[in-house]
Amino acid sequence: MADLQERKLRDAQMRATINQKLVETGERERLKELLRARLIECGWRDELKAYCKEIVQQKGLEHITVDDLVSEMTPRGRSLVPDEVKKELLQRIRTFLAQQSNM
Amino acid sequence: AQICKCVICGDYGPRLHACLSCIYFGCYDKKHIHQHAEEKKHHLAIDVSYGTIYCFICKDYVYDTELEELARAQCHRASASLGLKQKFFPWEPSEEELILLRCNPKRRRVTEASHIGLRGLINLGNTCFMNCILQSLAHTPILRDYFMADQHVCQATDESQQCLVCEMARLYQEFYSGSRTPYIPYRLLHLVWTNARHLAGYEQQDAHEFLIAALDVLHRHCKEMNGISDSNPHHCNCIIDRIFTGGLQSDVTCKRCNNVSTTIDPIWDISLDLGPGSIHSSHLLASAAAQNAAATGNTGANNGSSSSSSSGNTASGPSSLPFGSVETTTHSPSTGFTNSPGNYEPTSLVECLKRFTKTEHLGNSAKIKCSKCHSYQESTKQLTMKKLPIVACFHLKRFEHSTGYHKKISTFVSFPEELDMTPFMSSARCSNGYNGQVMRSRTPTLTCDNKYSLFAVVNHFGTIESGHYTCYIRSLKEQWYRCEDHLIKKATAGEVLNSEGYLLFYHKQVLEYD
Repeated sequence: MADLQERKLRDAQMRATINQKLVETGERERLKELLRARLIECGWRDELKAYCKEIVQQKGLEHITVDDLVSEMTPRGRSLVPDEVKKELLQRIRTFLAQQSNM
Repeated sequence: AQICKCVICGDYGPRLHACLSCIYFGCYDKKHIHQHAEEKKHHLAIDVSYGTIYCFICKDYVYDTELEELARAQCHRASASLGLKQKFFPWEPSEEELILLRCNPKRRRVTEASHIGLRGLINLGNTCFMNCILQSLAHTPILRDYFMADQHVCQATDESQQCLVCEMARLYQEFYSGSRTPYIPYRLLHLVWTNARHLAGYEQQDAHEFLIAALDVLHRHCKEMNGISDSNPHHCNCIIDRIFTGGLQSDVTCKRCNNVSTTIDPIWDISLDLGPGSIHSSHLLASAAAQNAAATGNTGANNGSSSSSSSGNTASGPSSLPFGSVETTTHSPSTGFTNSPGNYEPTSLVECLKRFTKTEHLGNSAKIKCSKCHSYQESTKQLTMKKLPIVACFHLKRFEHSTGYHKKISTFVSFPEELDMTPFMSSARCSNGYNGQVMRSRTPTLTCDNKYSLFAVVNHFGTIESGHYTCYIRSLKEQWYRCEDHLIKKATAGEVLNSEGYLLFYHKQVLEYD
């Protein structure tokens, strides 16, 4: 039990450190740009945009809020990301970390 | 990076908000920022990724033009500081455009089966060369968008009948009107004739010459009509230059002291030699010498014209007007030397480009005076692309004219649907002058914007004396069509790629905004 707790704590710490390094070096923004480009290329953005329009039409333009849209679209968006894109980004993060530990 | 994270949980996103009344960062999803707003009665927060403002009383995002502009400006600064491309902000209509949209509520929906944008052109007497170029231009996406968005404002209001740019705008209106009857471009033909006299007459002309002449007249009319002074012809901002002008870099390396003299010429197309290696001799000497002269202080404006009149690998630039036939001889029986290793005949566009950008040795008979070591030395010359145009036109030099004989090279040259120009860029040039393979692992580019897609192919049938032009164009819905004057027929990509190919039009896949 305690082991699991410890591991979770370590994971969280690790995640925080990695994030900090990513932000400090500006790599986080670069990765975001890369991700944005890949998602546009594969048509993910267009698909989701169409879905968004549907939701707005259903709910009505007057009553829709950003929160509504986010809660509706997040699961759909997450599932639509192609595996290659995920792999590519993971690879980039790994490379980045490898570089960081060398420095 | 140490501050800009959630105060409560230390997370960086995705929806991190910053309080506008004090220094506090909180996640949105886990409601940390909501807690803060409640406790401190700080009702406004900003999303740090998008710059949007949230009001906790209205429980929604609120929008203000001034704040949006600030957000956009900050976004540009952020991208610039990281060395990233500017973020793309989609088009938003201006006040005038909003009024126009409201007054014209009729909308046209383009379906899969729509034939919009397709229209035949009547042959006015051997004008198939012009028809093919017009079809190619009409289906150049970015040029089409420019004219359909009414971007041309003609300054010569009383003489708009004389403005070729206005006439092009009218052509687009005709093409996209939905009318199925073939169009008769008599006024456009007349305007080109009056502005490019060497093309006047009813004989068959060369489609490539017509393209260059048309671009030149359009470019001139854009400038004249807009009253831009002619101080620097290489920095024109007209639509033709923005779309078609690329930069061809020429590097001449002195073999003795390794000094490199570089010039960059504006070009509208790339003319590629076919057939076995060409004999350069005096022509290369002339162009290299002119380049050296340019490097030591004269304006480089004449470089374009000197190299386009020479044989070998050339490119036509806006500063040179084509006189008569541009396709000059590639086989002069004089002393000289053939192109280096393996006199192979290129059978693909990529091979042609490789040959075009290969380092050439200007031999003993073509010594250049080096500006650094001030002696006549042997040198090497290399051509690469410094700046890529949005629309790249490749001209396969199939016509040979020399005293006594004219020949058409009908060798099949394959060309791809997608073309990556990265290996032919100046940046791919290694210091020893050889174009190395771009090493992917070294500097991974985020997105490759040297990638092009084929959208139009102009073909020539027949011999040099009597021939006929047809073209293939890719329409709105990724469907290829074969255009032969007034006949338009569906075609397959396979058909297009198997055609002989004379003029190949490629469009950049990714556009960058400055």
